[in-house]
Amino acid sequence: MLSRTALLSANALKSKGPLGAGLVQASHSLHTSAQSLAPVPPLPEKGGKVRHGIIPEEFFQLLYPKTGVTGPYMLGTGLLVYLLSKELYIVNHETMSAASIGAVIIYGIKKFGPSVAAFADKLNEEKVAKAQEVKDLALTSLTQAIEEEKKQQWRAEGRSMLFDAKRNNVAMLLETNFRERIHMVTNEVKKRLDYQIALQNLHRQMEQEHMINWVEKSVIGSITPQQEKESIAKCISDLKALAKAKATV
Amino acid sequence: MTLSLFDQFSSPTFMGIPLIMVALSLPWLLFPSPTSRWLNNRMLTLQGWFLSNFTSQIFLPLNTGGHKWAPLLSALMIFLLTLNTLGLLPYTFTPTTQLSLNMGLAVPLWLATVILGLRHQITHALAHFLPEGTPTPLIPVLIIIETISLFIRPLALGVRLTANLTAGHLLIHLVSSAAFVLLTLMPTVAILTTILLFMLTLLEVAVALIQAYVFVLLLSLYLQENV
Repeated sequence: MLSRTALLSANALKSKGPLGAGLVQASHSLHTSAQSLAPVPPLPEKGGKVRHGIIPEEFFQLLYPKTGVTGPYMLGTGLLVYLLSKELYIVNHETMSAASIGAVIIYGIKKFGPSVAAFADKLNEEKVAKAQEVKDLALTSLTQAIEEEKKQQWRAEGRSMLFDAKRNNVAMLLETNFRERIHMVTNEVKKRLDYQIALQNLHRQMEQEHMINWVEKSVIGSITPQQEKESIAKCISDLKALAKAKATV
Repeated sequence: MTLSLFDQFSSPTFMGIPLIMVALSLPWLLFPSPTSRWLNNRMLTLQGWFLSNFTSQIFLPLNTGGHKWAPLLSALMIFLLTLNTLGLLPYTFTPTTQLSLNMGLAVPLWLATVILGLRHQITHALAHFLPEGTPTPLIPVLIIIETISLFIRPLALGVRLTANLTAGHLLIHLVSSAAFVLLTLMPTVAILTTILLFMLTLLEVAVALIQAYVFVLLLSLYLQENV
């Protein structure tokens, strides 16, 4: 554990002044991992395992082959008893205050430790989430752009169909226009010819009526009064004869 | 030789080396230095979060000229916090109980704010000696009082920190001695005394944090007046 502290401080001093080079050389014995800077090696997920809060697990593993599971505890108890019995450590008022502050610290860590750790993790996660959001946004916008591009390409393919339809449209319009004009021409010509026919008919009719009137007028003019008397007497005698014939039938 | 209660505050030397120097360099070892990584471990993340929050809070009322003091004041804050809280552990020496150290921190920093104010905006700095709206007869008296108050500031800063911490440590010493002695004589009273000691420890933790904060806050206030 203390070697980590030394390594950290040596790392911080590496670039500082004349001490730096000497410290780099001196600390080579403490470098345990392969030194390479890229890609940056990932940080370990959890800190080093500790037992009872301060004693590293490696200590127990160190003593396990020789003294088994209870070895370190025996060592601790023996050490404590030795210090007390030889009065190397004297129990005085500082022990009381040590107990008191120890209780405060242990209570504080047990109560607030997990929530503080979760808070620190949340801070890191928020950082990652922000960057991830940017990345996701870029991804979605790019996929959308690809979709749009594909759609535009499909639309461009249909262009020839569009042109054909347009061409047909224009041809139909022209045809319709032409037919309209033909009809108009036909109608106009027919109207002119009808007029001429009507005119001729009118002429003939007038001539006919005029001729009939003239013939009637001349016939009526040629009848003398003597002829008129004779014809009336003839009509009366004819009528008498007819009436006689009718009465006998 | 019998120890008096105040011997816990004598500055220890070991083979001619004043151990206070070692005690002063301890906080530096305890804080991780920023790495070139984007995501760090929990300690570094928390440290960064605390420092950024603290700096933004303290420097919110200051204009941009005062922002130059940000590294100094946040470093001072972390330093005092660590020194105070580490002093609560048993058998430790708290450098901030020494008046010399606290005056050594307070006087130069206070003097720096005053000199800054007098150099850049002398009329504005001198205007602080007369608050607005004082009745005319009071003006001479008030100026004298304000001058005295100005010169008492470094004394107050240093002595406040020293007195608070010394008193706290002394009380812990006393109450734990009482509890220890009573443990054999009257166990029930000893239990009560232990409860008192426990609560006193809690108070001392709070005082340690608060006193560091107050020191830095007052300095930032003096800076605000003068920059």
